[in-house]
Amino acid sequence: MMKQDQILRTLRGLMLAINLVLVVYYSLLRGLTALRISGSFSARDFLASAKQVPAPPWQMAVLSLGLFVPLAALILGKDYLPPGRRGLRAAVFTAEILLAAAEVTSLNFYYRGFFLMVLADLVYTAQEKYGRACIIAVLTVLYALADYSIASVFFSEIPLSQYLSYYTEFYSSWFSGVESLLTSLHVLLFVVFLVLLFLGQKAENTRVHQLNAELQESYRQLQEYADKTEHMAELRERNRLAREIHDTLGHTLTGIIMTTDASLILMDAAPDQARKQLQLANQTAREGLNDVRRSINALRPDALEHTDFAEALENTIEKFCLTTAAKVTYTQNAGNLDFAPDEEEAIYRVIQESLTNAVRHGHARNIEVRLDRFGETLTITVRDDGEGMAPGKPEGFGLRHMRERLELLHGSLEYGNRPPEEGPGFALTARLQPRQKGEENI
Amino acid sequence: MRRRTAALVGGAALLVVLAAAMLWPRGDTVLHLGVFAGSYWGTPNGSSYQVLDDAIARFEAAHPGVTVEYESGIPTDEYSEWLADKLLAGTEPDVFFVLPDDFGLLAETGALAPLDGLMDGENGLDRSIYYDACLQAGNYGGSQMALPYESAAMVMFVNRTLLEQYNIPMPENDWTWQDLYAICQTIADAQPDSADRDYGIYGYTWQNALYANGATLFSADGEQCYLADSRVEEAIRFVQTLGSLDTGYTVTAQEFDTGHVAFRPFLFSEYRAYQPYPWRVKKYSSFVWDCLRMPAGPEGGNTSELHTVQVGISARSLYTRLAWELLCTLCADETTQGQLFLQSQGISPLRAVTENTALLDRIFAETQGTSTFNSAAIGEIMRTAVTVPQFPAQEQAAAMADTAVSNAVTNNRSLATTLATAQRQIDLYLQSTG
Repeated sequence: MMKQDQILRTLRGLMLAINLVLVVYYSLLRGLTALRISGSFSARDFLASAKQVPAPPWQMAVLSLGLFVPLAALILGKDYLPPGRRGLRAAVFTAEILLAAAEVTSLNFYYRGFFLMVLADLVYTAQEKYGRACIIAVLTVLYALADYSIASVFFSEIPLSQYLSYYTEFYSSWFSGVESLLTSLHVLLFVVFLVLLFLGQKAENTRVHQLNAELQESYRQLQEYADKTEHMAELRERNRLAREIHDTLGHTLTGIIMTTDASLILMDAAPDQARKQLQLANQTAREGLNDVRRSINALRPDALEHTDFAEALENTIEKFCLTTAAKVTYTQNAGNLDFAPDEEEAIYRVIQESLTNAVRHGHARNIEVRLDRFGETLTITVRDDGEGMAPGKPEGFGLRHMRERLELLHGSLEYGNRPPEEGPGFALTARLQPRQKGEENI
Repeated sequence: MRRRTAALVGGAALLVVLAAAMLWPRGDTVLHLGVFAGSYWGTPNGSSYQVLDDAIARFEAAHPGVTVEYESGIPTDEYSEWLADKLLAGTEPDVFFVLPDDFGLLAETGALAPLDGLMDGENGLDRSIYYDACLQAGNYGGSQMALPYESAAMVMFVNRTLLEQYNIPMPENDWTWQDLYAICQTIADAQPDSADRDYGIYGYTWQNALYANGATLFSADGEQCYLADSRVEEAIRFVQTLGSLDTGYTVTAQEFDTGHVAFRPFLFSEYRAYQPYPWRVKKYSSFVWDCLRMPAGPEGGNTSELHTVQVGISARSLYTRLAWELLCTLCADETTQGQLFLQSQGISPLRAVTENTALLDRIFAETQGTSTFNSAAIGEIMRTAVTVPQFPAQEQAAAMADTAVSNAVTNNRSLATTLATAQRQIDLYLQSTG
């Protein structure tokens, strides 16, 4: 690609050079011939056949060379134009076309190759399809109009042949020969330039096609990846459901089992107590059923659905005390408990799961639940006096889900058996930095 | 990039400054004047630059800081070429003289600046100070392109000695074609059949005759030819009839010079050049001669064709206003024109000068006292004179008409038909070039 550009620029430079030679050629031929005629007693005949007074001999040289300098500067300097800036580019292009027209006019329409050079140059520089079409149309029309026989209708100029007729056949055919050699060379360069330019364009098109194919492939991969992601989301959702079922059904069923166990024991000794326990179990089962329904519906704790969070926590703990033999101490030092729904749910689940674990696995009698706030960090501590965790036992399903839930909220979870000096039991600390209101979880 | 731009801008600024420095007027303004040496009328003129130098001195005195320069010593017959050289080289003078034969070419090629705006503007000129025919000479396509400097009308030279020999009285200035024909016939009838005979007239063409018969060949705008006009036809027939008196012999200038021809049309300048002593002796020493107005045709008056030397301004002059004032000093100033009338052989295009009796007395004091040609006749000639209209195709169209007429005369074809055909062709030609 780079090499192609260099070739095109070299060709353009050559065209510029040939045009400069032609400008000098026409200026000299026109000027010097006029001076020669004026010194050779044929001036009156010349005027009579030309039917007009020609411009001073130096005028063509001064004008055409004077215009050539800015034209060449524009052609060569355009490579340094900043990309974009469409207004500036359009202005520069227009200026170049106008300069070419002025140049052709200053040469009395003897030569119109400047339009070809500018056409090649602008088609090479212009990027937009529409702009290119405009440039080609305008310059083609200008080129056609600049034909001497057409232009001379509007601009009465003395034809070059009039000047050439001053010389003998031999010299005038030499002059014409040099002229057609140079102009043909220029046209040849022009054609080669365009052919190379359009061949390059074709290569570019092929490259674009190739890139397009690559893009399609990437798109396909992306689609695949999206499918995978969807599958993963499905998995995650399944996990969540599993967790949800464990949290709700597990909790409820544990409660029911324990209450019914108690009822079975109390049945004979204290039927009233047993009845009460059965009623509790019944209630728990109903709530459990509600929980399941709610899970199916919105997967959101019913307690949290209707009541405010602090109240919901207290209700749950109270109900837990009633349904189990354990005694729960609840200390709330965290001030206002107003969190985002997902945080509330996490805190709720951590406390609910910890309580369930303490009774189900630890057979604890006393459970301590604390909510503290240290700066931005909310700490949930649940300690019991149960059997604690058997050493080497892998992390259970409940704990794992608790950790996952917290980690989703950038929180952390620590747990373990209480230090021996404190006696047996299990301790769990969850830390969480609740978001400010309006801040979304990422 | 930025440095490149700065260099470009700097270069452009430098060019502008250089150009301004070159074109900025420095010191005196120099007006160039193009002028030929001697008299256009081909007559001796010892003091050709005198009038010009005096006029320039007065112009320079009235315009401090302006000098007028001219190249002296360009002969009249080389002047056209000299001026064309200058035009081609782009170095033509700001103000230049225009010979009658060059006017059409210079106007057509755009070498002359139109003067209408200047004439009607501030420091303008009243057109009525000139004789119409003189001003008409500078009219091209409806625009005034030059001002008349000096005119000369066609007049008829008369060999008085020859007339006296045949006992023919000198005709009056209001003579007619019939008078001319009668005299020529008298002379022709009296001739013996020998080689040494006398003739009535030499060099009188149908073009000389047609103006005196109230005709012109072309319309003023150059779009129509009147060759088939009955008055033109009459003029041609009259010249033909006059020629038939010579019974097939073609009279030469030699015979007029040696005193064997009674009439010959000439420019008035010739009369003024050779009438005074000592020139009179040099040119036609063998006979006494005088001049008359052109003979009037049945449809016209004693009308002469006028030749006028003019002065114009270059269309490329940078000092058009100064050039205009110089032009006025030369062509509209009574002092200049009066001096010119005295020293040159032409007639001033200014009515006030040509009809100034004091001047005319000084001029005619030099000529023979017996002349029937006097100051009154000059004013009359100028008032009635005509100028052939100038337009791009004039030269070619006139040549076509001349060829058609001589073909008709020599081939003895029907004159009316030939003229009608030729007129149609010339009209087509005029339309194609117009």
